[in-house]
Amino acid sequence: MRYLMTTKASDTVPDESLYIEMGKFVEELTAAGVLLATGGLEPGGVRVTSSGEEITVTDGPFTEAKEAVAGFALVEVRSKEEVIELARRFREIVGDGESVIQQVFGP
Amino acid sequence: MPARDVRRTIDAVWKLESARIIAGLTRMVHDVGRAEELAQDALVAALEQWPESGVPDNPGAWLTAIAKRRAIDHIRRSQRLERKHEQLAHELEQQQAPARDDVLRLMFLSCHPVLPTEARVALTLRLLGGLTAEEIARAFLVNEQRIARRVAGAKRTLAGKRVPFELPDDSELTERLSSVLGVIYLIFNEGYSATSGDDLIRPGLCLEALRLGRMLAQLAPYEAEVHGLVALMEIQASRSATRIGPSGEPVQLHEQNRGRWDQLLIRRGFTAMLRARQIGGAPGRYVLEAAIAVCHAQARTAEDTDWAKITALYEALARLLPTPVVQLNRAVALGMAQGPQAGLALVDSLAADRTLQDYHLLPGVRGDLLARLGRYGEARLEFERAASLTRNVAERAFLHRRADEIAVTGTSEVTLAEAVQGFLGRGDLDAGTIRSYGQTLRRLRLTLGDRMPLASLTSDQVAEVFATAWGEAAAKTWNRHRSAVRSFGAWASLGHLAAGLDRRPEPPSRTEAIGAAQLKALWSRPGLPLRERVLWRLLHESAAGVTAVLSLNVENLDLDDRRARVGGTWVNWRSETARLLPLLVGGRTQGPLFLADRRPGPSRMPAEADLCPETGRRRLSYARAEYLFKGATKSLDPAGNGYTLRQLKLCFDTRTGMNP
Repeated sequence: MRYLMTTKASDTVPDESLYIEMGKFVEELTAAGVLLATGGLEPGGVRVTSSGEEITVTDGPFTEAKEAVAGFALVEVRSKEEVIELARRFREIVGDGESVIQQVFGP
Repeated sequence: MPARDVRRTIDAVWKLESARIIAGLTRMVHDVGRAEELAQDALVAALEQWPESGVPDNPGAWLTAIAKRRAIDHIRRSQRLERKHEQLAHELEQQQAPARDDVLRLMFLSCHPVLPTEARVALTLRLLGGLTAEEIARAFLVNEQRIARRVAGAKRTLAGKRVPFELPDDSELTERLSSVLGVIYLIFNEGYSATSGDDLIRPGLCLEALRLGRMLAQLAPYEAEVHGLVALMEIQASRSATRIGPSGEPVQLHEQNRGRWDQLLIRRGFTAMLRARQIGGAPGRYVLEAAIAVCHAQARTAEDTDWAKITALYEALARLLPTPVVQLNRAVALGMAQGPQAGLALVDSLAADRTLQDYHLLPGVRGDLLARLGRYGEARLEFERAASLTRNVAERAFLHRRADEIAVTGTSEVTLAEAVQGFLGRGDLDAGTIRSYGQTLRRLRLTLGDRMPLASLTSDQVAEVFATAWGEAAAKTWNRHRSAVRSFGAWASLGHLAAGLDRRPEPPSRTEAIGAAQLKALWSRPGLPLRERVLWRLLHESAAGVTAVLSLNVENLDLDDRRARVGGTWVNWRSETARLLPLLVGGRTQGPLFLADRRPGPSRMPAEADLCPETGRRRLSYARAEYLFKGATKSLDPAGNGYTLRQLKLCFDTRTGMNP
């Protein structure tokens, strides 16, 4: 089963050791055949809303920046517990903050 | 955390870590059976302690540490060593080889040729995948005791034959590697096309095999065949969702809905294939099979499949691996590339092969080819024979149904009407496709007659029907009917059916200019707001992009020369815009030229560049401008939809630079 883990922006300023740790973690998950795709997301982005016939396109940044997703990882695992364990390791590396895990259905 | 959840967490951690732990221990104690027991001790310790103490911060490291301590105790006992625990630990630490090689060693060990194939499979899932005997037994639908015995026997054999925990040297690398690849592919295939039981796919096994393959690709990155196997599995796995129909029956490759193939896995497969190609060398069996899978993945429709190339690849594969199964697949490809007669000739040459006498795919393929040749009586017998040979329930039902379908239409001479009914009634086409194909084929039936024998249908007749019915139609309509005939022709093995129908080029875009009368009506409409009037005139006169025009700022306008700089280019306009522009600018000296009606709310503050410093209003958005134009032109558009701003710009005559 596939899970998408999204991570919200945090106040922590990443230092070099964090990058190295993250690099190792990503490499390890790739080697284990677990990580399918991962990436960071630009802050803000563009918001497209529809209401009736009107489509509104709004450029970021948005005020509720704390809720914005800053990165994602798509993983293929055997169980929910496995993805939780991976997320636990990830949170340990990046420090305070929040990630959300959701199962992906389809395609 | 409730005890049940702790157990699940332990299981998850174990499955992620066990390969590394067991591999490390095997290097310490030189016996994979002993190593696994020690690792199991650590697992038991976790099961005892974690529900009480909670899951440790780094559960993987915890398990590793406990297992290592047990290993050192074991070594001290067995060697009656006087040295202290710490000293021994330090010594062992000194001999540490890179851990990643340990896992690779473990893979080679559990797939060692001294073991029977079944034992290799069970041991690999057990040691590398961290699966329990019960889980392996469930996946292979056998008794748990049998798996446990198989694993225990394998460990005994490895110990008895003193198989070293080493990477194979160059002289035996090819053979040893092919054993590892064979085991992984066997696990994948058991998951992908389950040989027995009720389900056709057991996704758990596919996933295990994919993980093992991806792991191996990292551990042995310079072996083209490893990447070939990974590519093959990724691409095959991409079709999992479409291989099984709603009632569990198999859906054949050419009938699968390609839109639902998993593009992520296909892309991963292509990437792996690229790596295999970069390594180079003569392609091995997995690289060749992956190349075939790539061909299928690249064909946008079943009709687009490059069967000639696939046949060539199967020929290369058959030289390398002349098994009857490969030959059978080659016959299928040949039947598609050169027609059913060529395929049948090859299949018949295989029928004498004893290894294939109970292989259900042989009569299945033969039945298919016979049906396409119109030899329905024989085809039906073959499908029934195939059904009686397969052990898979869903597949058996599918083969029975194919036999029954022939019984319905199985007269000596199939008519056009019967063929069309058979084609549309296969049960795997969606409603929209049936409707669309039905339209085309109904026209053929009406013109040529229901009772026309299918075998006598020629491409000239089809071309005549098309010329009469759709000769004047839009290219898109023509092409839609054409692809229906192609699909029908492929199904009925009358591949030539659309030979007289050329694909017509479709216009790249549906966007059309607005008619002169409509434009005139628009310009003369009273009461248009000034902003709209300027924007529309400007778009019309300049033929510039909508985004570019909306991004114009007051300070960039050169009113005298009737032009403005935007991005890297100039926007030029003519008299009507020139007359209106000063009115719109009014007293403003800077900021966006086209402004929204209202000021933005505090939570929706745009970037500074999009805000007018004088009025506090924001730049007019494309969406809003488009909405207003659509609304204003609804009454002019014969279709009643309203026009888009892009259409306005297209009214500009590019040949003369004049507007109509």
